[in-house]
Amino acid sequence: MKQITELATPFASISSDETFFGDDLPWLKSLRLKARTQFNNAGLPAKKEEDWKYTSLRPFARQQFNHGAKTQPLSVEQCNDYALLDDAYRFVIIDGVFSAELSKIDGLQAGLIIRPLSEAVDLIQPHLGQQVELTKPGFTALNTMMMSEGMAVTVDSNVKIEKTIELLVINSGESANLATHLRHVIVLADNSEATIIEHYLGLNADSSFTNTVTEVILAESAQLKHYKLQQESSKAFHIATLAAKQAAKSQWTTNSISLGAKLARNDVHTQLLGEQSHVVMDGLYLVDNDQHVDFHTRIDHTVANTTSDELYKGILNGNSHGVFNGKVMVHKDAQKTDANQQNHNLLLSRGCEIDTKPEMEIYADDVKCGHGSTVGQINADHLFFLRSRGLDEVSARSLLTYAFTADVLDRIDSELIRTALANVVEQRLPKPSI
Amino acid sequence: MKMLEIKNLHASVGDKEILRGINLTINAGEVHAIMGPNGAGKSTLSNVLAGRDGYTITQGEVLYKGENLLELAAEERAQRGVFLAFQYPVEIPGVSNIYLLKAALNAVRKYQGLDELDAIDFLSLVRSKLDLVKMDEQFLHRGVNEGFSGGEKKRNEILQMALLEPSLAILDETDSGLDIDALKTVSEGVNGLRSADRSIVMITHYQRLLDYIEPDFVHVLSDGKIVKTGDKELAKELEKTGYSWVQQGQAE
Repeated sequence: MKQITELATPFASISSDETFFGDDLPWLKSLRLKARTQFNNAGLPAKKEEDWKYTSLRPFARQQFNHGAKTQPLSVEQCNDYALLDDAYRFVIIDGVFSAELSKIDGLQAGLIIRPLSEAVDLIQPHLGQQVELTKPGFTALNTMMMSEGMAVTVDSNVKIEKTIELLVINSGESANLATHLRHVIVLADNSEATIIEHYLGLNADSSFTNTVTEVILAESAQLKHYKLQQESSKAFHIATLAAKQAAKSQWTTNSISLGAKLARNDVHTQLLGEQSHVVMDGLYLVDNDQHVDFHTRIDHTVANTTSDELYKGILNGNSHGVFNGKVMVHKDAQKTDANQQNHNLLLSRGCEIDTKPEMEIYADDVKCGHGSTVGQINADHLFFLRSRGLDEVSARSLLTYAFTADVLDRIDSELIRTALANVVEQRLPKPSI
Repeated sequence: MKMLEIKNLHASVGDKEILRGINLTINAGEVHAIMGPNGAGKSTLSNVLAGRDGYTITQGEVLYKGENLLELAAEERAQRGVFLAFQYPVEIPGVSNIYLLKAALNAVRKYQGLDELDAIDFLSLVRSKLDLVKMDEQFLHRGVNEGFSGGEKKRNEILQMALLEPSLAILDETDSGLDIDALKTVSEGVNGLRSADRSIVMITHYQRLLDYIEPDFVHVLSDGKIVKTGDKELAKELEKTGYSWVQQGQAE
C-alpha cells in the first residue's frame, strides 16, 4: 500500500472543505463524497495493476499540480485559428473555465441543448456517473470528486443535428502545472443524430494535467459520430475516460487521435445493451521523443445481434512508448455477435516500444469474432519503389508513414472532418530517422 | 550518343558473386533485350542499374550519359531519367496512384529546373498518358497497385514510364504474368514510347515479348556474363533450342 499512498501525493493536499458547483444538491454532494472516499482509499493505480502494467504514473506522481486557474484571455481570432472547424457550434473551455465569449452556442438548432456542465446539473442528473465505475480507474473517482466544468449536450428525439459540435479545450499555460477535471455528458434521445469533436490543445510547452471523463448515452436508433483530437504539449499529462451505453439500433462511431502529451492514457469503453447496436471504435496515435501513449479499449457485447469494428493504428518514433490493450467481451447471451478488432503499429526508430495486447473473451457460441495485431517497420520494397520514381528518401519515408494512417482516416465519412484531421496528422508526423 | 556503358561489372549479394564481368554498350534510341535462364543474374542487373540496396559492386563501372551511375542514389538516377519497370510492382495502400504520379513527376521536373505542374495541367497530361496504356481514370484514385490484377499492375508501370519520359527504361520481366491481351496493350504502350533519344532494355526469359517489341539487339546472359549477342533472330533460336546450349557452350 505504501506505493499507492506515495502515488496519491499530487492530490493529497486537496482539502475536504473545497467547494464545487452543485454542492447545494444533496445527490451531487453525496456523489462527490463517495468518489472522494474511493479515491482516498485506493489512490492512483499502480503498475502492479494489470490495466497499468505498461504505464507508470511515477513521473506524474512526482509532479505538483494546482487547481486555482489564472486564465489567459484569447481573442476570437486566436480561437478561430485553434479550432478545427469554422462552420460548427463551438464550446470553449480555457484553463478549465467555460468561455461564453469565445463559444458559438447561440441560435442552436431546435431540439439541441449545449450548456456548461455547471449550469446543466438538472439536465444530466439521471445520467451522470452511470456510464463509469467510480473506482476504476482511480482517475475517474478523482474526476467525479473534483469535476469543475464540462460540456453537457442533449439532443431530442428524431432530431438530426446538422452542424458539428466542436468542444475546444485549451490549456493556455498561463497557470503553471494546472490540473483540470472536466466531465462531459452527451445524451442522444431516440432516433437522433449528432457529430461531436473533442479537441484538446496546449498553447505552450508547460506541464499540465487534464483529467476528462466523457459519458455518452445513446437511446434507441440514435447515431453519434464522435472524434477526439488530443494535441496537448509534450509535457502535459492527459488522462481520459470515454464511456458509452448504447441502446438497440444505436450507432456510435468514435475515433481518438492522440498526438500530444508526455503521458496520454485513454480508456474507451462501450456497452452494447440493445440488439442491432453497432460501434466503430477507431484510434490513431503518433508519438515521438519520450512520449507515452496508452489506449485501453473495451467493448461489451451484452445482447444478441450486436456488431463492433475496431481499428487502432500507431506510429512510434524516438524513445516513445505505446500501449494498446483492446478487450472485446462477448457475454453469454450475445449470440450472433460480429466483432472485429485490429491494432497495427509502425515503428520508425530503434528506441521506441509498443506493447500491444488484443483480447477477446467469448462466452457465446454462435459468434463471428476476429482480431489481429501487427508491429512492423517501413517496408524496404515500398521505399525502393518510391525512390526509383524520383522521391528522395526522407519524402518517401514520410509518404509511407502517412500512408500507414490512411485507412483509419478514410473511415471518417465527413470529408470536412477527415480533411481537417488529416492535415493535423500530416503536420505532426514524426520526422523519420534515417 | 552513348546512353549506357557497362564495363566489366561485377556485383555480389553477400559473399555470392552474381554478376561476373558484364560488358554492354547501349546507344540512344536502341532497344536491347537481355535474355537468359533463371539465376543468370538478369534481375540483379536491373536492380544494380536502378540502385537498389543490398548489392556490392566489386569491380567495373557503369556510365549513364557519361556520368558514373553507381555513385548516384536511386532517386538521383530516377531524376536523371533512369526508369525501372518492376517485375513485381508493389502495392502501397494509402498512397493514391495520382499522388505518386504527381510526386514522381515533380521530383523529375525539379531536377530539370522546371516548375511543378498545376493541378489542371497535370491532370490533362496524365489523361493523355492513360489512353496510351488503355487505363481507366478511376485507377488514378486507388492506392498504388492496390487490388490491381497482374496486367493492371504492369500497365501502371508503363503509365509511370510514359509520364516520366525516361531516357533509359529498364523493363524487368514486364511480360511475366500477362495474358495475351494484356501483353499486347503493354507492348503497344512501350512501342509508343520508342524514340531516337530513348533507350530501352528489356529483361525477359521468354521470346514472346520480342514478337511485340522488336529489339535491335539480343544478348544472352548466363552465369553473370553476356555470352552471346545477336539480333532478333537469336531470340528465335533460343526459343527453339532453350538455354542449355548456352550453358554448355560456356562450360567448354
